[in-house]
Amino acid sequence: MSETVYEVMRSQGITRRSFLKFCSVMAAGMSLGPAYVYDIARALETRPRVPVLWLHGLECTCCSESFIRSSHPLAKDVILSMISLDYDDTLMAAAGFQAEACIDAIMEKHPGEYILAVEGNPPLNEDGMYCIVGGKPFVEQLKHVASRAKAVIAWGSCASWGCVQAAKPNPTQATPIHKVLTDHQVVKIPGCPPIAEVMTGVITYITAFGRLPDLDREGRPKMFYSQRIHDKCYRRPNFDAGQYVEHWDDEGARKGYCLYKVGCKGPVTYNACSTTGWNNGVSFPIKSGHGCIGCSEENFWDKGPFYKHLSNLDGFGIEADADTLGAVALGAAGAGVAAHALLTGLRKPGKESDDTGSKGNEKI
Amino acid sequence: MSAYETQGFRLDNSGRRVVVDPVTRIEGHLRCEVNIDNNNIIRNAVSSGTMWRGIETILKGRDPRDAWAFTQRICGVCTGVHALVSVRTVEDALGIRIPENANLIRNLMHATLYAQDHLVHFYHLHAMDWVDVPNALKADPRQTSAIAQKISRWPNSSPGYFRDIQNRLKKFVESGQLGPFTNGYWGNPSYRLPAEVNLLAVTHYLEALDFQKDIVKIQTILGGKNPHPNWLVGGVPCAINIDGDLAAGAPLNMERLNYISQIIDRTITFIDEVYIPDLVAIASYYKDWLYGAGLSSQNVLAYGEFPDRANITDPKNLLLPQGAIINGDLSTVHPVDLRNPTEIEEYVVHSWYRYPDETKGIHPWDGITEPHYILGKNTKGTPTNIQELDEDGKYSFIKAPRWNGHAMEVGPLARWVVGYALKKPEFKEPVDKLLGTLGLPVTALFSTLGRTAARGLEASWAAHKMRYFHDRLMANIRAGDTSTANTDKWEPSTWPREAKGVGFGEAPRGALAHWIRIKETRIENYQAVVPTTWNASPRDPKGQIGAYEAALLNTPLADPKQPLEILRTLHSFDPCLACSTH
Amino acid sequence: MENSDTEMGAAPENEMGAFYIYEAPVRLWHWINAASILVLAGTGLLIAHPLPSVMGEASHHFVMGDIRFAHFISAWLFGGGFLIRILWSFFGNKYSRELFHLPLKDGSWWRSLGFEVRWNLFLEKRARKYYGHNPMAQLVMFTFFLLGTLLMILTGGALYAEALGGGSWADHLFGWVTPLVGQPQDLRTLHHLGMWIILVFVVGHIYMAIREDIVGRQTSVSTMISGYRIFRK
Ligand code: HEM
Ligand code: HEM
Ligand code: NFV
Ligand code: SF4
Ligand code: SF4
Ligand code: F3S
Ligand SMILES: [Mg+2]
Repeated sequence: MSETVYEVMRSQGITRRSFLKFCSVMAAGMSLGPAYVYDIARALETRPRVPVLWLHGLECTCCSESFIRSSHPLAKDVILSMISLDYDDTLMAAAGFQAEACIDAIMEKHPGEYILAVEGNPPLNEDGMYCIVGGKPFVEQLKHVASRAKAVIAWGSCASWGCVQAAKPNPTQATPIHKVLTDHQVVKIPGCPPIAEVMTGVITYITAFGRLPDLDREGRPKMFYSQRIHDKCYRRPNFDAGQYVEHWDDEGARKGYCLYKVGCKGPVTYNACSTTGWNNGVSFPIKSGHGCIGCSEENFWDKGPFYKHLSNLDGFGIEADADTLGAVALGAAGAGVAAHALLTGLRKPGKESDDTGSKGNEKI
Repeated sequence: MSAYETQGFRLDNSGRRVVVDPVTRIEGHLRCEVNIDNNNIIRNAVSSGTMWRGIETILKGRDPRDAWAFTQRICGVCTGVHALVSVRTVEDALGIRIPENANLIRNLMHATLYAQDHLVHFYHLHAMDWVDVPNALKADPRQTSAIAQKISRWPNSSPGYFRDIQNRLKKFVESGQLGPFTNGYWGNPSYRLPAEVNLLAVTHYLEALDFQKDIVKIQTILGGKNPHPNWLVGGVPCAINIDGDLAAGAPLNMERLNYISQIIDRTITFIDEVYIPDLVAIASYYKDWLYGAGLSSQNVLAYGEFPDRANITDPKNLLLPQGAIINGDLSTVHPVDLRNPTEIEEYVVHSWYRYPDETKGIHPWDGITEPHYILGKNTKGTPTNIQELDEDGKYSFIKAPRWNGHAMEVGPLARWVVGYALKKPEFKEPVDKLLGTLGLPVTALFSTLGRTAARGLEASWAAHKMRYFHDRLMANIRAGDTSTANTDKWEPSTWPREAKGVGFGEAPRGALAHWIRIKETRIENYQAVVPTTWNASPRDPKGQIGAYEAALLNTPLADPKQPLEILRTLHSFDPCLACSTH
Repeated sequence: MENSDTEMGAAPENEMGAFYIYEAPVRLWHWINAASILVLAGTGLLIAHPLPSVMGEASHHFVMGDIRFAHFISAWLFGGGFLIRILWSFFGNKYSRELFHLPLKDGSWWRSLGFEVRWNLFLEKRARKYYGHNPMAQLVMFTFFLLGTLLMILTGGALYAEALGGGSWADHLFGWVTPLVGQPQDLRTLHHLGMWIILVFVVGHIYMAIREDIVGRQTSVSTMISGYRIFRK
């Protein structure tokens, strides 16, 4: 017998009042107005907990680690009251075939009703055997579980973009999941890792409203990914003023000036760090003195170096960026022009000093 | 090879094969196969790392100052340790000296990870090997309360408090949606706790889950986020400004230092009043389950960690001990030299990599990581559907590191054994006290439970060290030193044309080192040998087994269909497979 | 047209006199465009490599803000001017359309192009005369300037959309560019590279314009000022 989320929460000693408070925290967490509090409450009152199967491919598990850091809602409350985390090899009690049986049971009992959440990604080289689960390639498990999923969430930059293992030369051919699950709308929650409250915020939205949040062109929830770090960065006044950290630990660093000159990728990174903050809003990379490295963006590993504004461009030798290329091209153009001018002067071609002939007839 | 002897163990793979894949409640993908005899006793064990990402390959050609971020993504559980060791590696290669404050801040961040990682391991990854969760429903909350109040001053201990949790658990179980507790080995005869202690542990499972997220806020303040805070070659990025202009906008100011200080106090309290008493309480019911010694009673290795003063790698300056113990001889602690080209070597004869000559090991400065996935000829199944591995062939993505030819155990137990052998009171006294409380001899340390206990003691040690580092930082600032980074050699134009370096430390799971070669300002070669590479190591050309395989041997299974004991022992190492293979 | 007896666009060998080629809107646009590009490149470089930091309160300064403002003002001039220039090509004379198309199917155009290449390699003795652009100029203007301009407007617009945020008008108009070229950092890189493409054009273009004036048999720079092309013998 399955209970609704509300019933479970009530039964776990949560009063109606704190239940509603919980709903309003959720609404605020998702940047929804107070009018939504009762929508959320109604949704939670009528739905059983949604089964979630959380798979792990090639990854570092920091997405799971981030998830359990959620403060509002608490990870504990998500796991006990909002979803039914029926498979997650990092946390589950069962192992081996008993663990695999959990997947089969949900796929049988709740086809089309469970959420597939994926952390990490499948490598496709070596027939998928750079990531083996139960003796078989992870990519098989991924496709299998996706086949009956109601929704697919890509946790973190690994699942969304490929992340570090997909950085050049991507030896395992690690592949973001939307390129493997081509029949599915994949909700991407990029970040390395994503912010805990962003992860639980998206889960809450889906479980409370029974639908996917609005997604942008890239498949990211607009509510958390429609602005760059730079747009809401509290050091933005320093950027505009022209006040930068020039060197580590200089006067600017101690005054909290903008980190643009030491390579901050905030202007090219869509994420909620400068709005939501990290670990219950305690800080975020820039606030702690290091530039953003762009960890929620596609292939950010290959857009470095991290301490320079311009990316290195491959295939042009050491330290080539847009400016070195441009300067070389411009220099070559200048040299070519100079040489051509010189030759022109030496040859004095065709200059027959008779340029009188204006006939004055203005034909068009 | 059906039976042979190595390192004092007898391996026999003639019995029934039991496969556990996936091994859960760990980081990453681990497969374990054992052979059991007619009495269900493990006579052969095979540990296989089943993932590989190629981060060492990916690092080639990149800016050494960026390496910390790449290596950090080796693992998000022991987040930061690879970054720390990586900046040390690059600083070693380029001869960069860091300010005292940077060293203290790094230590503080690292100790923070120790406290949080050990705590999460105990409650969320390991506890269910000892704690029967549904059995907590049978508990009398009043008795749980009495036990709690007897063993600790922790205030959340009223009967009503435990009853609330029990009710919450009850409704949860009754909902029919068991979530992560589905298919656990509940009721297995290996569980020995009374219902009341089970309830206590389940309660603290939830409390610890809430609390661990607060510990890491120290890393968030100093590194901007957690997991994966930011680091810097030459120091730390969080500049200090205590009473200058615009100090409120500085990464580290009075308010931030106070925030950290308050978290440190709470961390010490939680570990000393919840984690340690629970550990003792649970251990007291498993005193005679002393399986799983494996290599711990023979060969242990520690590199040392927490430099007291900046830039001094001498073991005397390290707060956690350095040294190797061989053949169980606690009277001699051998020095460790990570630069010696023959001391540490990695083998791949049973690993899914290729060397020009696989009978030989290679020192990491010359290390090669070239994947080569082939299965032994006695493998059961197909290359993409493995039923049983053939340990005579290649069978793991983990390399086999050896110290002077020996397979070694690393980790909290190894560190504490070395500290104990060196007779350092900081390590010897808490161990003796714990053993005294439980009424156990020193030899009991060499066991699955000993590993778990050492980790707990170390969590407490680390929490108190957090206070120490914070105090030192305050003292430095009071003395007028606010420097956090040395940028003399920041620009690649100041670097030599070629350089090589090694950085080391102790990650929560054990000894960790990275080796780098830099050529013309780029990484020419980068190699990591990681704690779980040591512990989960496959066999070497001599057939020597690694710590996991050794620790599983000779353990009886209460029910071969329920690999509870296997999980217990594997979990006591806190496996991290993303780390091990990288 | 009187060029029926010669190669496409070229004037007869003995053509003499002054011809009204570049109407006022084209000339006006040309110089506004040139000025805006110089400002865009200057401010763009300062955006990528900001000036040394100023100290003190953030609210007392707006150095980068002003630089960006100048970039955006000139971006409007540049982009808006380009739009108007496109519109003008529908109303202006036939020379006003040369910038926008390459007569690739026209054999005589190709032969003229060959001639111009040889001329610039000093393999021809006498320059040819053209009423409008010579084919080489036309080719270079199309590939470097026209496509370069489109690139800068699209990538610049997409960068602008980033600042206005998802759902803004600029996002609707240009937001699609980013995934097309990769991700936001790729967008920056491309916008930055585009500047160099245009600057390389500018160097070659100014040189050629002045050179034609001196060694060619027709006016060049003054044509872009007065509108009149005057042929010499
Ligand atoms: C020839 C024309 C242009 C040139 C040479 C030019 C050059 C540049 C350069 C060099 C940058 C710095 C890129 C970097 O960060 O590396 C830049 C930034 C930018 N440009 Fe342009 N640009 C041109 C046209 C435009 C146009 C038409 C727009 C449209 C609005 C535009 C909008 C921007 C924006 C929004 C930025 C980013 C400013 C910031 O983030 O503060 N640009 N431009
Ligand atoms: C940023 C700088 C400049 C740019 C982007 C630029 C661009 C152009 C373009 C696109 C045209 C073709 C006009 C059309 O067909 O509508 C053109 C023509 C012309 N430009 Fe420029 N121009 C620049 C600077 C200059 C300067 C400084 C001079 C003089 C020294 C100059 C001289 C000319 C002349 C003479 C023509 C006519 C060429 C011909 O008759 O074939 N331009 N320019
Ligand atoms: N280095 C490292 Fe590790 C490992 N093994 C550490 O504690 O886990 Ni993720
Ligand atoms: S996205 Fe980053 S944090 Fe998440 S698993 Fe991948 S590497 Fe780890
Ligand atoms: S620190 Fe980074 S994100 Fe913040 S204003 Fe500067 S460049 Fe933008
Ligand atoms: S590095 Fe990542 S955590 Fe945020 S500030 Fe940048 S997206
Ligand atoms: Mg390695």
